[in-house]
Amino acid sequence: MLNILFIEDDAIETMKLHRTLAKLQFKHKIVEAKNGEEALAHLNSDEVLPDIILLDLNMPKMSGIEFLKILKEDAIMKYLPTVVLTTSENRADLLECYKIGIAGYVIKPLKYEDYETKLASVFKYWENNELVKA
Amino acid sequence: MENKENTLLKKAIERQKRARQQAEKILEERSKELYDTAEHLRQTNKILENLLAQKTTQLDNVFVNIIDPYVVMDLKGRIIKMNSAAEDFLGYSIKEKVSLASLVHEDYKEYTKASFKSLYTTGLIKKYRPRIYTKNKGLRHIEVNGSLIKDKTGTPVAAQGILRDITHEIEIKSLLDLQKQRLDIIVENSPLGIWLTSNDTLVKANKAIEKMLGYTEEELKSMNAMDITSVDSLQTSQDYRKQLLAGEIDDFTMVKKYLRKDGSYFSAKTTVTAVRNLIGELKYEVALIEDITHELELEEEKKQLVKDLETSNQGLQEYAHIVSHDLKSPLRSISALTTWMYEDYKDKLDDNGVYNLKMMQEKVESMDKLIDGILKYSTIKSDHLDNSLVNVNDVVKEIVDVIYIPEHVEVKCVNELPTIYADRTKVHQLIQNFLSNAVVHIEREKGLVEVGCVERSKYWEFSVKDNGVGIPKEYHEKIFKIFQSIGNKERSTGIGLSIVKKIIDLYEGKVWLESEIGVGTTFFFTLKKQK
Repeated sequence: MLNILFIEDDAIETMKLHRTLAKLQFKHKIVEAKNGEEALAHLNSDEVLPDIILLDLNMPKMSGIEFLKILKEDAIMKYLPTVVLTTSENRADLLECYKIGIAGYVIKPLKYEDYETKLASVFKYWENNELVKA
Repeated sequence: MENKENTLLKKAIERQKRARQQAEKILEERSKELYDTAEHLRQTNKILENLLAQKTTQLDNVFVNIIDPYVVMDLKGRIIKMNSAAEDFLGYSIKEKVSLASLVHEDYKEYTKASFKSLYTTGLIKKYRPRIYTKNKGLRHIEVNGSLIKDKTGTPVAAQGILRDITHEIEIKSLLDLQKQRLDIIVENSPLGIWLTSNDTLVKANKAIEKMLGYTEEELKSMNAMDITSVDSLQTSQDYRKQLLAGEIDDFTMVKKYLRKDGSYFSAKTTVTAVRNLIGELKYEVALIEDITHELELEEEKKQLVKDLETSNQGLQEYAHIVSHDLKSPLRSISALTTWMYEDYKDKLDDNGVYNLKMMQEKVESMDKLIDGILKYSTIKSDHLDNSLVNVNDVVKEIVDVIYIPEHVEVKCVNELPTIYADRTKVHQLIQNFLSNAVVHIEREKGLVEVGCVERSKYWEFSVKDNGVGIPKEYHEKIFKIFQSIGNKERSTGIGLSIVKKIIDLYEGKVWLESEIGVGTTFFFTLKKQK
């Protein structure tokens, strides 16, 4: 079971994730954060650090890229694998993310079925990974 | 005693005799001397007479042999004597007793009167320059230098003078004057500042330069070129002049900053040219000065505009991405909700409900495509061309593997396609648009899409031919405009061909088509060969 920090401002996107997990019968633990600040607050609390972070880029207040920069400056948290999950096909965003340091860049497909397939493969991939585990 | 007396007497007589003889001899000698002297004088006189005669002859000869016309006239102005040169020149013989005054051109009558008056009072006439009518040579301009001739008592009796034909000289002079005048007009009216120096001293400065600098020509004459050069330009200017003086260069051009009289500055393009004598010594320096303050300002303005444009382009691109993201996100939500609606309520929905949900999905899809298209269209920019060698055969293969091609349609290359120097992504985008268009509009049993290429001298000319439905003539131009779709297919957004057009424009190419309804369409496009 993965401990996932899901940073996303859109309620329906969150619903999509939960529905996908339920449908595919994944038992991963999801911690939701509506933006970068919330996510940082969670990371800096006494809670256990997540195994992976799923990060949306376009969010109000602190954007995904800003969050990523702060994360990568932290001596410990910089080791958290972060997978970007976004609608942005902007090459500049993609390059910037890889430059700062990400573990993956997944574009949200238009159709929900495609979303399910894509997310399933992402989860399966991370299930097969040996993780640091706090 | 008597003997003694006799002896004494004899002696006295003897003495007297000797004295007389002596006197006679002296007399004789004197008389001879006198005669000799007279004779000598006579001879001398004769020599002198001869000499005088010779001189007179010589003078007469001089008079005859003067090359310039020489005339002697009486006090009434009638010619009483002239040499043959004068006869030739005037065309009159001495016998005709021509009055010199009568030959003078009417415009010079007053001048002549005044000049003659001065001759009578001063005894001399110098540089008297009338125009006169000659008998054979027409109107001539002459110069007369002469004097009064006076008799023994000092009374003027005649006047003599040498004439010189200066017609030609005057013509040349007036021509020179004219040319100088014209040159002056050019120099003075030139918008370029002109500055002529010799040995560091100003010889000539035109009005333009006075205006530029605020100094008068007189003020400038007491100044050095370096006095009006700003400190910024001093070093460069001096370096160039050193080379000019050393003969290493014959001219130089620099943008120089000048110091005005009022202390302000201006920038001017300055070209200095050396004028050298036959042995290469620097005689003059000519500087042409063009005030380019305005041009520099424009240049600066241009730079700023380009910068602004870049910023605004950048902003626009950002904007396009943000807008597309903000539009695409809700589409994803709608799509998900529609899917869930179907999944969760398919038992309760009738056929019509299912159909409507399917239609919703399709509309969402076409809107997503449209947003993608707009984004692509707005991000095609010339400064983003990443040119490399692209094998077009490979590109076509890739596209055929990726795009949706109905089963009855075959895509093939009619000849080996070239390897061109271009942006791979753009070429991909370009051909993909043509192919996707071609394959979906074929209604006949066996569809065929053929890609070809012909090499022209400066362009590659590609063609994409299909045996589809064809495009009516009235749409041939319209289809390249943005959002103009003529198909009824759900897939067409109307943006594909405008993307094509924009990419072709980047490569200075053209796009056109030939089409026959029911037979097929061939799209042609050219891409300029890149260097």
